[in-house]
Amino acid sequence: MIRFDQVSKRYEGGHEALSQLSFEVGAGEMAFVTGHSGAGKSTLLKLLGLIERPSHGVITLDGQNLAKVGRAGIPKLRRRLGMVFQDHRLLMDRTVFANVELPLMIGGMAPVERARRVRAALEKVGLLAYERQLPATLSAGEQQRVGIARAIVAKPMLLIADEPTGNLDPSLAVEIMDLFAEFQAIGTTVLIASHDLPLIKRMRKRVVVLDHGRLVADVAAQEVL
Amino acid sequence: MNTQPEIPLNESPLLSEPHSRGGRHRLRPVASWREHHGWSAAASLRRLMSRPVGTLLTVAVMAIALALPLTFYLLLGNVQKMGEAMGQNQTISVFLQPGQSAASAHLMAKQLRERPEVSAVAVKTPEQGMDELAKMQGFSGALHTLDSNPLPYVLEVQPKADASADSVDRLVSDMHGLSGVDQVQDAGTWRQRLEALLGVGQRAVLILAALLALAVLLVVGNTVRVDIASRSEEIGVLMLVGASRAFVRRPYLYAGIWYGLFSGVLAAGFAVLVELALADPVARLGQVYAGKLHIDVLPLWLLGAVPVAAAVLGWLGARLVSAWQLRKAA
Repeated sequence: MIRFDQVSKRYEGGHEALSQLSFEVGAGEMAFVTGHSGAGKSTLLKLLGLIERPSHGVITLDGQNLAKVGRAGIPKLRRRLGMVFQDHRLLMDRTVFANVELPLMIGGMAPVERARRVRAALEKVGLLAYERQLPATLSAGEQQRVGIARAIVAKPMLLIADEPTGNLDPSLAVEIMDLFAEFQAIGTTVLIASHDLPLIKRMRKRVVVLDHGRLVADVAAQEVL
Repeated sequence: MNTQPEIPLNESPLLSEPHSRGGRHRLRPVASWREHHGWSAAASLRRLMSRPVGTLLTVAVMAIALALPLTFYLLLGNVQKMGEAMGQNQTISVFLQPGQSAASAHLMAKQLRERPEVSAVAVKTPEQGMDELAKMQGFSGALHTLDSNPLPYVLEVQPKADASADSVDRLVSDMHGLSGVDQVQDAGTWRQRLEALLGVGQRAVLILAALLALAVLLVVGNTVRVDIASRSEEIGVLMLVGASRAFVRRPYLYAGIWYGLFSGVLAAGFAVLVELALADPVARLGQVYAGKLHIDVLPLWLLGAVPVAAAVLGWLGARLVSAWQLRKAA
C-alpha cells in the first residue's frame, strides 16, 4: 500500500527532516511511526497527503507514484485518504453532521446516501446523539472522534493520523487507538504518528522508529514487548 | 469505549464495503455539480446575512457607484429631450429697429418669403408681443407702468425643414445686413452648441460608468479577499479533505454575485427615486413649454440590466481575487 524508497525531505533553509528513508506498509496493515519530536514523523505523513513533496526518492501509494500526481490530481488523491490531525481541524461553525459530511459532499455523493454514511460513521465513533451540535460544545476527546468519523466516512484506502491522542488524557487516548484498531480489523490500512510509547506498546502493532529523519528501528507487531 | 455501536461491524453501512468509494451511490457529475452550486449559493447568502451591517455597507458603496452613472445618464437624456422640445420650432427671430413701420415690416417679410430656404415668415406686431409678455407670470404688473409700447416689429422666420445648416447660416447673416434690422436671434446655433455639449456629456457618462464599474470590481474584490483571508483555516481543511480549488472557490464566487445583484437592485431603485424627485419640477417646466416636456424615465430594460451587469461584475471581481488568493493553497 505504502512504499518509501530512499526518500529525503529537505526544507527551505536546509533543515533535513527525512533522510534516505525506505520502508513499506502492506495493505490492511496498521503501523505506528514514532520518535522524539522533530524526528520526521509529521513530515512523513505530510508527504503521503501531498501536503509536502519529497526532495529525493520515490513514494508509491497504492501502486501510484506520488511524484506523478500533479496539482490538479491532489484533491482526487486526498479523497482516497482519511487524515486525522492532532488539533482535529474541524470547521467550528458547522454542525458535527456537516463536518463529517464534508468529504462525501466533495466526492459528489447523493444526499440520501450521504446522510446514511454520516450517521453510520458517527455511530461508529459513538457520537450519533451529537450530530446537530457544533464541535465547540463537545469535549476534546469527542472532537477528535468527530475528526476520525470525518476521516473514515468516505471509506479511505489509507487512514493516516498525526498525534491523534496528543491532546487527550490516557483513558481517552486508549479509546481512540482502539477505534483505529477496529478500522484496521475490517481491512483499512492505518498509519499513526505518535510519541506516546506506552500507548504504542499496549497496542501491539508494528512500530517504525525515526531519529533525526532516519529509520533506526522497524519492529514487527509480534515483537513489540 | 463506553458508547459501543449497536450495529455489528459487518452490517454497518459504513463498513460493509471497505475502502470502496461508494460507486453506485455517487451522483452523476452534473447532478453533483448542480447540488454544490445550489449549496454554495445558499451558504454564501447565509454568510452575507449573518453579518448584515458589513454586507449592507459593501452593497451600499457598490450601489452608489452604480447609481452615479445611471443618474447622469438619466439627466443627460432629459436635457437632450428638453433641447429637442425647444428646438422643434427652430424659428429665427428678426427684431426690427424701433420705429420701423408696419409697411416696411411686411415688405421685408415678403422679400424673405421669396428665398428658397425659407418656408414661412410671420410678422409679430408690437401689440402681439405685449400680449405675450402680459401672459407670462410676473410681467403683467410691470407692463402697466409703461407709457407706450417699446416693442419693435418681429419677423418670425421659419427655415425649411430640409434646409442645410450652411444655407440657414447664410440666411442669418444676410438678415443681419438688411437695413432696419436691429437683432437676429437664432435658436439653431444655440441648439447646435447644446448638442455638442451633450455629445461631450455622453462621452463623460461612458467614461464615468467604466471607472465606476472598475470601482465596483475593486470593492467586491476587496470584500471577497478579506472574506477568504478570514476563512483561510476553513479553506485549508477543505483542501485537506480533498476539495478541488473550484469547490473551495464556489461560495466566494456566489458571494460576489450576491453583492453585485443586491447593489444593482439598490442602484436601480435609487435611479427610480431620482426620477420621482425630478418628475415634479420637470412637469412644471413642461407647462412653460406648452406641455411638450415630460420626464424621460430610464427604460425598463436598462433598470433590469443594471442588477444583471452588477452581478457579472461581482462574479468577475470575486473570481479574479479568489484565483489570485488561492494560487498558493494546495
